[in-house]
Amino acid sequence: MLDSTHIAMPLRDRLLDSERMMAETGCYDGITDLRLRQDNPLKFETLHTKLRALCVSAREMARRISASPGVREVGEMVVAIYTPEGDAIALSNGIMVHVHTMSRFIKWMIKQGYEADPGINPGDIFANNDAFIGTVQVPDVMDVVPIYYEGTLVGWAGAVCHELESGGITPGGDVCLAQERYTEGLFVCAEKIGTNDAIRRDYVIRCERNLRMPIYWVLDEKAKVASCIDMREAVKGLIGEIGLDYWMRVSKEFIEEGRRGQLARTRQLTVPGIYRGHTFYGHVTEGKPGFQPLGDPNWLYNIPIEMEITLDGTIKLDFEGTQPWGYHSMNCTPAGMDGGMFVTLTQHMNYEGLVNDGAWMGTELKLPYGTWTNPDNEKCATATSWALLLPAYGVFQRLLSRGFLGRGFVEEIFVGQVNSPMIEMGGESQYGTQFGMAHFECAAAGSGALAIKDGLDTAYVGWNPESDMGNIEIWEQNMPMLYIGRSIVPNSGGSGKYRGGCSFMSTWLINKTPHLRLVTSEHSSRVFDNAGMCGGYPAPTCQMHRVVRNTNINELTAARLPIPHTTGTDPHRSDLEKLVTGDHLTDEGPYISAPHKSGDIFTHSYNGGGGYGDVLERDPVKTAWDVENGFLTAESARNVFGIVVRENLDTDEMEADLAATAAAREELRRERIRRAVPVAEWMAQESTRIRDQKFAFEVRRMYASAMRLSPRFSSEFRDFWGLEPSFTFGEKP
Amino acid sequence: MAATNPIVIGIDAGGTMTDTILVDSDGHFKIGKAATTPKNEAEGFLASAEDAADAWGISLEELFTGVGVVLYSGTGMLNTLLSRTGRRLGLITTKGLEDMILMGRGLQAWADYSYADRLHAVTHHHPDPLVPRRRTHGVTERIDQFGDVVIPLYEHEAEAAARKLIADKVDSICIMTIFSHVNPMHEKRIAEIVRAEIAAAGAEILVYTSHEVRPVIREQSRLNSVLIEAYATARGRQQLRGIEAVSKKYGFRYGVQTLLSFGGLTSINHPRLHETMISGPIGGILGAAYVGKLIGNDSLICSDMGGTSFDMGVITRGQTRIENEPIMDRFKLNVPTLHLDTIGAGAGMILKVDPLTRKISLGPESAGSDPGPICFDRGGTAPTIADCDAILGRLNPDYFLGGKVKLDVAKARRIFKETCADLLDVSLEDAAEGMIEMLETDANSALRRVISGQGIHPSEFTLFSYGGSGPLHLAGCSRGIGFRDIITFQFAAAFSAFGCTTADYKRRHSVSTQLDIPSSASDDALVAFAAKVTKVWDDLTEAAVAEMMEDGHPREKIRTEAFLMARYTGQLEDVEVTAPLTKLSTAADMRQVVARFEEVYATINHRVSAYGSVGYSIMELGVVATADKVKPILVKRPLGGSDPSAAAKGMRETYIGGRWHNARLYEMDLLEPGHEVTGPAIIEHPATTLVVHPQDQVFVDEWTLLHYRHA
Repeated sequence: MLDSTHIAMPLRDRLLDSERMMAETGCYDGITDLRLRQDNPLKFETLHTKLRALCVSAREMARRISASPGVREVGEMVVAIYTPEGDAIALSNGIMVHVHTMSRFIKWMIKQGYEADPGINPGDIFANNDAFIGTVQVPDVMDVVPIYYEGTLVGWAGAVCHELESGGITPGGDVCLAQERYTEGLFVCAEKIGTNDAIRRDYVIRCERNLRMPIYWVLDEKAKVASCIDMREAVKGLIGEIGLDYWMRVSKEFIEEGRRGQLARTRQLTVPGIYRGHTFYGHVTEGKPGFQPLGDPNWLYNIPIEMEITLDGTIKLDFEGTQPWGYHSMNCTPAGMDGGMFVTLTQHMNYEGLVNDGAWMGTELKLPYGTWTNPDNEKCATATSWALLLPAYGVFQRLLSRGFLGRGFVEEIFVGQVNSPMIEMGGESQYGTQFGMAHFECAAAGSGALAIKDGLDTAYVGWNPESDMGNIEIWEQNMPMLYIGRSIVPNSGGSGKYRGGCSFMSTWLINKTPHLRLVTSEHSSRVFDNAGMCGGYPAPTCQMHRVVRNTNINELTAARLPIPHTTGTDPHRSDLEKLVTGDHLTDEGPYISAPHKSGDIFTHSYNGGGGYGDVLERDPVKTAWDVENGFLTAESARNVFGIVVRENLDTDEMEADLAATAAAREELRRERIRRAVPVAEWMAQESTRIRDQKFAFEVRRMYASAMRLSPRFSSEFRDFWGLEPSFTFGEKP
Repeated sequence: MAATNPIVIGIDAGGTMTDTILVDSDGHFKIGKAATTPKNEAEGFLASAEDAADAWGISLEELFTGVGVVLYSGTGMLNTLLSRTGRRLGLITTKGLEDMILMGRGLQAWADYSYADRLHAVTHHHPDPLVPRRRTHGVTERIDQFGDVVIPLYEHEAEAAARKLIADKVDSICIMTIFSHVNPMHEKRIAEIVRAEIAAAGAEILVYTSHEVRPVIREQSRLNSVLIEAYATARGRQQLRGIEAVSKKYGFRYGVQTLLSFGGLTSINHPRLHETMISGPIGGILGAAYVGKLIGNDSLICSDMGGTSFDMGVITRGQTRIENEPIMDRFKLNVPTLHLDTIGAGAGMILKVDPLTRKISLGPESAGSDPGPICFDRGGTAPTIADCDAILGRLNPDYFLGGKVKLDVAKARRIFKETCADLLDVSLEDAAEGMIEMLETDANSALRRVISGQGIHPSEFTLFSYGGSGPLHLAGCSRGIGFRDIITFQFAAAFSAFGCTTADYKRRHSVSTQLDIPSSASDDALVAFAAKVTKVWDDLTEAAVAEMMEDGHPREKIRTEAFLMARYTGQLEDVEVTAPLTKLSTAADMRQVVARFEEVYATINHRVSAYGSVGYSIMELGVVATADKVKPILVKRPLGGSDPSAAAKGMRETYIGGRWHNARLYEMDLLEPGHEVTGPAIIEHPATTLVVHPQDQVFVDEWTLLHYRHA
């Protein structure tokens, strides 16, 4: 007989009870045996597949309703079904990161006693975009509806869309300029926004009056609610078939099974032990309007990560040694950190689609309080937390890949994700109306390389593996800019035996507007925020923005003279400078400036991924193809890879000159030996440099803040470099 | 056998088998099958036709001289695309966007993947482009979304590009510029320049422009459409001509017809032949619509289960949905296609139990026909659903394809036990039945999902089940949904071919528009919108009718119907609405159109998502022109007695519902109107098998359709 006494208890007690039983038994909700699975494994499996299928179809319905290119065109959405306590049972494809952030949102409401006030009733609709309650950033707005079956709460249906406009200090969703919560945009803090399956009119009015482009948000809200209702009805139908007792038990067994599956998969694919990696992030805002005085001129982040894989298969990630949170928009909440973990697991270990919160329970995150990963001030901004999240989980992908390598799963090795800077805009549209939008073509960056082939060109981002840059003709309907170029950026993939995927760059001509504000975010410059593996190089840091105001474009086109379509491959003088006259600007880091108008030209690039293996082992024939197709310049092929390519004038194809390549590589090898020094010697040099503190101010301050916050990091840093126990960095400029 | 000769030959060449159906004026049918011959499809066509002619008892000459219609739906173009053996192309596009062919929107790196592979990013990769980057040339120009020229066309760059491509000896030159569907002047001018250069060089090169091939928004899909038209249809057309040639050789007097992906027939000279690429499965929907009319039900679910996939089509109160952006070999196109929902579910699906997690997976891989399931004994070592069917006695080991393939059941039992049943720790039969139930439940949930999107109750729908494996799994696929009726056919295995023969001649012409109707529009404004819409419909009607008349259809035989694609202003997806009127003149007419949109929208999406206060946008206007064709007739015969023993052929042990039964066997073709079969029973046909579960019944009606009734 199934134990159904639990469901009669108040929800909060039930949740606390469930957490207690997990702590006591080590198993989800105290489920120590999967008896329904044992009794009838086929029925069990079939039901899980059914739940997934209904999530997938609910998401498709929502995409039809949405007005936002983010949702309709590039799929920035996910839906899921939860237990009454808020643990995910089944989910659709899409932005997986939010499966667990919604879980946090539901649990937060339960723990806050929402069942008493404002009440949880059939037909209610709750929404949230507060990252400290459970989401990643303000534009990630989530809706959940309770599922009642004959008067009993049997679960929740939830949906998240990434909004393209959230009404912050600058237009768009990833509000780069926000330095505190108060400038991030419209907050909906676990609010009941509807009853009886209808969204409240006063809520819609609030959205319509506080957003630059309310139709995106409002129709997405309707789309999410429609999909939640669709899932709710399907779940109720299902319970009608299998019975309430069976549902209450099986939904928990699915999660416990997911937890066990995650542990088993980790044991199968990796080698237990401790893995370490790190990355950096440089945020250059010195002198940019609006960033100071609250924020520092420039920020530099060190992100060391230790991953422990235990014998039972638990993955523990520890961020000890990273920096404190700051007055910028890149802080992250534990919900966001969970999300990053979840989305990475779904791509590498749990992709078969029967994944749920159980997988997340097979992991542990150690997020030091006070750092950007777990701020001790809930008023800080998190609008662009992806800036630090993506590099951090790129490290996680490389650490996991080392585990795969250790076990021999060479095909699974993946150098991983990179940042993909976003461009956002607002002002007067080509229709003469006010508008605001985040441009989501950034959902198609280059990926890191694999150990068996090159990374994906212009077709991967960590937050959503279903990468899509969208159609130009759709984006142009939503903004007063015309593409005069959208092209692959040569040399943008990290070099290696297998190179990282390349990125692309867009070049726009501003059209039919007297006032267009352009802002960009998630730019790491001066330091690499990604890396290569096994000798592969990192991908380049962010490209700079190149902009021309007051151009002579009309004169040029009237005379049919060449105009720029990209910045070109000359690092010293861009095509813009060569071809167009006007006020030129080259800008590092996030772009923020006075409004633009028709006739201005703006360029924006995305990032490529890191490489794998030694460049001198790269296939010359493949490299010739790369040069022919614009993924690599002939100069880089020669200087970096030692591969000499020539054009066959009969066929226009590029061909590798194998003899010249062998000679060039021999020369590069000799050069490597000439420059090499013993490790001990190099460490002694660096140690002296550290003692003398011969670093840029931002570097000194970065290490000083980490050492102040973390005794463990301080002691390990000193031990490694042979420094005195009293050593610390000076923080003055 | 029949006294009359066939009047229609319908042939559906699939990836593996070419199915033929012959139909006479009295509604008799015969089926033929032969292996598809991709290199020269005419061989498979003829072999399959001969197989059917043999069954009818006539020669090929008698067959072809007697028929009025030969209808062929083939795979030539698809194979050309898959094997990358098409024509040598050059491309001229808007300068700065040449890399579009390599980037494929990002999305083409995973489009068409299974759920698991979509998430598993290391499996993603870009398809090989149809035109290399070195033969892609940019020409400076820009037209914006309103059709305004922002950057004029640099004609000298078009001239240089044309000369280079001519020197590169391309077969065809494609031209695609941004927003050419709104204002084609730059594409047209580039085409003129290119043609002039071709003429000057004395070369023979075809020129394709995207606004002529597919004047619809979304440049990546429009580019793919024009590239595929140029790349693959030449050889496809050649295959069709080959089929016409052999038909004529055996005495056929007319032109061979082929099927458009939106369900109409056209001659093999159709100017946009890529519109026929996704046509095979479409036949089933047409056949269902036709039979539905006979039996008086216009809300139908068509379900086609073969070896790898389960395709579902819907006809809701006579309306079929059009899919505007189907995917073909991972390229997204914008070709209107009768909407099909497909899940991976078929008898050839490979079954796996993960030794680590004990999770069961069905497919997505299929054993295909080579090596096929284990029981085929052709080297297959992975258990499939067909092996489970054989293990449970549902398939007759001596009558598969009429006995052409002998099934090795013992081998299937041995391997299935080792690789599946033992790992799950259940009995062999329970594991096999469980696997079948998983497949059927998948299909069953998919059917429920499809129905729930229609906004009407399942009891209004009749389910049609066909395809080689459709009847075999019919019971489980349809259980508990509450269909009004469930029907299968003696010719279930060739139902798609049959469906092709029921199609009419059709053209679908449409054009993108941008008519934004505010929710507060005045009567005068509505009258102005009405006039604009009517003008577009009139122009499209004229063009569609002219194209059909060129194919030889007299004007008085051509009917037209108008439609619109509309959305709430600001949305990105349209719903297709059949116009309640074809000429709009008053504000009330326009309101009627908007009301019709609201009604269709609410049935597809939940009412909570309505947002009329933001206004309405009409994004596309179109016209469908139709002319009737002679069709097969199903013959009504009086009902006889219910005793089916005339069709009985013995007994077989069959495992259903957790135990073995001694099931009665019947020969499907010998069942007569009025017969009733009560399960457990197996009704066999050389090309398909219908499993009747205990206490379920099958009733043969006066059209000789088989009605399945759950107990």
